[in-house]
Amino acid sequence: MIKRNKVLLSSMMASGLILGACAGDSNGEGGSSDVVTLELFSNKSENVATYERLIEQFEEQHENIRIELEAPPEAETVLRTRLTRNDMPDIMSIGGNATYGELGREGVLYDFTNEEALNDIQPAYQDMLNRLVGTDIEGDYGVPYATNANGVIYNQGLFEEYGMEVPQTWDEFISLLDQAQEEGIAPIQFTLQEAWTALPAWNSLGGVLAPENFGEMKTNGEASFQEDYDEVADKYLELLEYGEGDIFGVGYDDGNENFANGEALFYMQGNWAIPEIERNNEEVELGFFAFPASNDESENNLVSGVDVLLTVSESTDHPEEALAFIEFMLDQEVATQYIEEQAAFSSIEGVLQEDPVFEDIQEKFETGSLTSFPDHFYPAGLGAENLIQEFLIQQNKDQFLQTMDNEWDSVINR
Amino acid sequence: MEKKRYNWPATIMLMITTVFILFPLYITIVTAFKTREELSGNLLALPGTWTFDNFIQAIELTGFWGALANSLIITIPTVIVTVLVHSIVGYVIARNLHKKGIKLLYYYIVSAMFVPFSILMLPLVTQTSSWGIDNRYGMILLYLVLNLAFNTFIYVGFVKSIPVELEEAAVMDGASEWKIYWKVIFPLLMPINATVAILTTLGTWNDFMLPLVILGGRRQLATIPLTQYIFESQFSTNYTLAFASYLLAMLPMLIVYIVAQKWVISGVTRGALK
Amino acid sequence: MKRKNSKLAWYVLVPVMTVFFLFHTLPLLQGVFYSFTNFRGYGEWDFVGFRNYLNVFSDSRVRSAYVFTLGFSVLSTILVNIISILIAVGLNAKIKYHKTLRAIYFVPYMLGTLIIGYVFSFIFSRLLPQIGYSLDISWLQFNILGNPNLAWIGIVIVAVWQSAAFNTILYLSGLVTIDPDLYEAADIDGASPSTKFFKITLPLIMPFLTINMVVAMKNFLMVFDQIVALTGGGPGTSTESVSLLIYRGGFQGGEFAYQSANAVIFFIIIAVISLFQIRVLERRQD
Repeated sequence: MIKRNKVLLSSMMASGLILGACAGDSNGEGGSSDVVTLELFSNKSENVATYERLIEQFEEQHENIRIELEAPPEAETVLRTRLTRNDMPDIMSIGGNATYGELGREGVLYDFTNEEALNDIQPAYQDMLNRLVGTDIEGDYGVPYATNANGVIYNQGLFEEYGMEVPQTWDEFISLLDQAQEEGIAPIQFTLQEAWTALPAWNSLGGVLAPENFGEMKTNGEASFQEDYDEVADKYLELLEYGEGDIFGVGYDDGNENFANGEALFYMQGNWAIPEIERNNEEVELGFFAFPASNDESENNLVSGVDVLLTVSESTDHPEEALAFIEFMLDQEVATQYIEEQAAFSSIEGVLQEDPVFEDIQEKFETGSLTSFPDHFYPAGLGAENLIQEFLIQQNKDQFLQTMDNEWDSVINR
Repeated sequence: MEKKRYNWPATIMLMITTVFILFPLYITIVTAFKTREELSGNLLALPGTWTFDNFIQAIELTGFWGALANSLIITIPTVIVTVLVHSIVGYVIARNLHKKGIKLLYYYIVSAMFVPFSILMLPLVTQTSSWGIDNRYGMILLYLVLNLAFNTFIYVGFVKSIPVELEEAAVMDGASEWKIYWKVIFPLLMPINATVAILTTLGTWNDFMLPLVILGGRRQLATIPLTQYIFESQFSTNYTLAFASYLLAMLPMLIVYIVAQKWVISGVTRGALK
Repeated sequence: MKRKNSKLAWYVLVPVMTVFFLFHTLPLLQGVFYSFTNFRGYGEWDFVGFRNYLNVFSDSRVRSAYVFTLGFSVLSTILVNIISILIAVGLNAKIKYHKTLRAIYFVPYMLGTLIIGYVFSFIFSRLLPQIGYSLDISWLQFNILGNPNLAWIGIVIVAVWQSAAFNTILYLSGLVTIDPDLYEAADIDGASPSTKFFKITLPLIMPFLTINMVVAMKNFLMVFDQIVALTGGGPGTSTESVSLLIYRGGFQGGEFAYQSANAVIFFIIIAVISLFQIRVLERRQD
């Protein structure tokens, strides 16, 4: 491959100088030269308030550093735009998914391999990140920070009222859903107006029922949705029958509010939804269990991934200050505050999530019965969430699985 | 012959259909003044007590003043420079249209009206950033370029209707070309300048796509529409706060409209007649 | 009449055309150029010939975006023009509160599309279902934006609601120029209101119809803000417009070059549609 764009770029630069001179700069940075301002880019709207509090603490400790938090919607699109314009944020707090893998491969992220920061990180999560970048590339381009759990949130009050117990198998789960229906409560809260909310259940099913390294196999032509996701699709459609009301007309925020008010028994989401639900109703008592996708109890691993990883731009003007922020975040107390406020889990050894909500999944963490998010290994251009949402509406399984296969192939070929 | 009888059926029909226009505005206003608890009640009802808390919160959360400043910093220079530059471009092209080169140039500019922004978008992002103008000043420059085709079309049409004799008289008096333009032509262009100014103001102020792709998610630089977008996910179910923010975003243009309504409508009307 | 060569023209046109070339023509050329590469927006790239174009033609997501965008544009254009003419004719009649009414009908044009979209989104997702439940009207209880077969209606409503304002003013300015004597003459002949409308009003505002159809159609083909605010392209991909697909795919999907090819095709389609409209409508005018 030839770096032809360099020539084009430099000729642009030359003409740009003339214009740049009169255009000036207004990136809003500036300020006095002693204070360094860093941009922290977060892809989660859920952790904005937590970050704001942590930033305040950090700035108190480091008087010469100011952190500006940016958490735009469709953050991944924005981050890609930033990559295109060669303007990466100084510090990034993003999810462990295909976009991270691409950034890692592109060499725009700082290599943490020799940093002490990594010493306390659980190696399993570091491996997960490295697998996203690709095993052929050396280096650790991110620090796993918060991890998540994808499963089923349930309303404990309703559970006790109807004498229910946490289901261990698919059949048990279905019988609870039937029971709920008989009792006249909505079994499942769906929020399918927003495409991404179709993913948690999809990942729960796929994480258990489809091969673990499906992404790799699919790209190599060794697996396909038509063969390996048949059961996933069937079971998802079965679940859909337990939604009530306008399941495609309710969005995530409204769904959280409904669930907080006890309008449904189960909510197939991740731990990140818990603070959002509790914000709507402090009284609500929630529980969380791993999705029992299979009738073989031992197969029902908990889907867990790197929800937030911290990384620094390779080209930041202030690497020391940026690393100081990462170090601050990795402090045991700070990490504990983060996971408590976010109802998340930490990838730092010894920082444990003790919220009783997660009682039912502690064992999964302890025994390492974990599996990663299947969709984190899908190519970024696939837009799986929209395709899945469409499938749930139209319920045409064969056509959908074929579309998934075709789209995957054509995205890979672009 | 003089009959001053009103057409009442038409009046009544039009009054009834204004409901469709006013209803969303009504919803915006009542929701913005409600408390969160009231939202679980009748959404059509007026607020029990009118509260300004939502506005205070929204101003703080979205950094409203900063966004207002950004919008002004982009819109005001864009409008002024657009009127000054595009009018003179229209003038020199209109007066030299008999030359083949200028005529070709005219078609070259005007044909840009058919170029969708989508095709420029991707390269513009890389280009503005590598030239270091992916900021508010770059936005002004881009608006000037993107509006050139339409405005040239309007100005050329208008200038053609101004008789050349006026200028010739001035030439006799020994006035320079610049002076002729500035003293004779520009004042005559005033009505169309007003039209261009209004259309440019609204187009720039309310634009969402160009700030989105050029300024990205940077809160510091965000204009008012972009700020609404950036904070949409953080409003969560807090609709009262969100609507206070929408109302704040609508206010500047509504105020302009209330103050200068006659001027705005006649400006647009004049544009249509050209 | 001889005019000496204009110096002013040079002083004005050279800098303006330079900037125009650099920020309009150059990006356009780059867009065309990239469409023949596998550029992702960053990093290294190679020429791939017509591969992107071939892939675009066989991409069902692209195809459905075109179907949606064209359908939406045609329908909205027709609706906006019909509604605008009706309102304009009404406003042009001898009505009371003429100025106030005219002012109200123009308000939507002052407001930003994105914000209007958010307001309507609330109306569709919360307000109408609430009304539906309290009045027990079952079809109102569902959020139309959540239904892939109906979500486009929401987008059309917002688009028409907003665009009708501007078009009304344009038609109104055309109607004012019609000589009232024509109507009086028609009255004497005993013409019905509909005859007057079709025989006098419509032919005389035909030039305005041409402009309005072309301008409205072009704007609707570029639809973006409404969709971002209302559906984000969903449910599924049912309301994904071409502009949205180019934006999303171009950046998020890392399909910079691929979407550039899509944009080139889009450009050609828009140009062809606009020219076609102008030809057809101008012929009808004669």
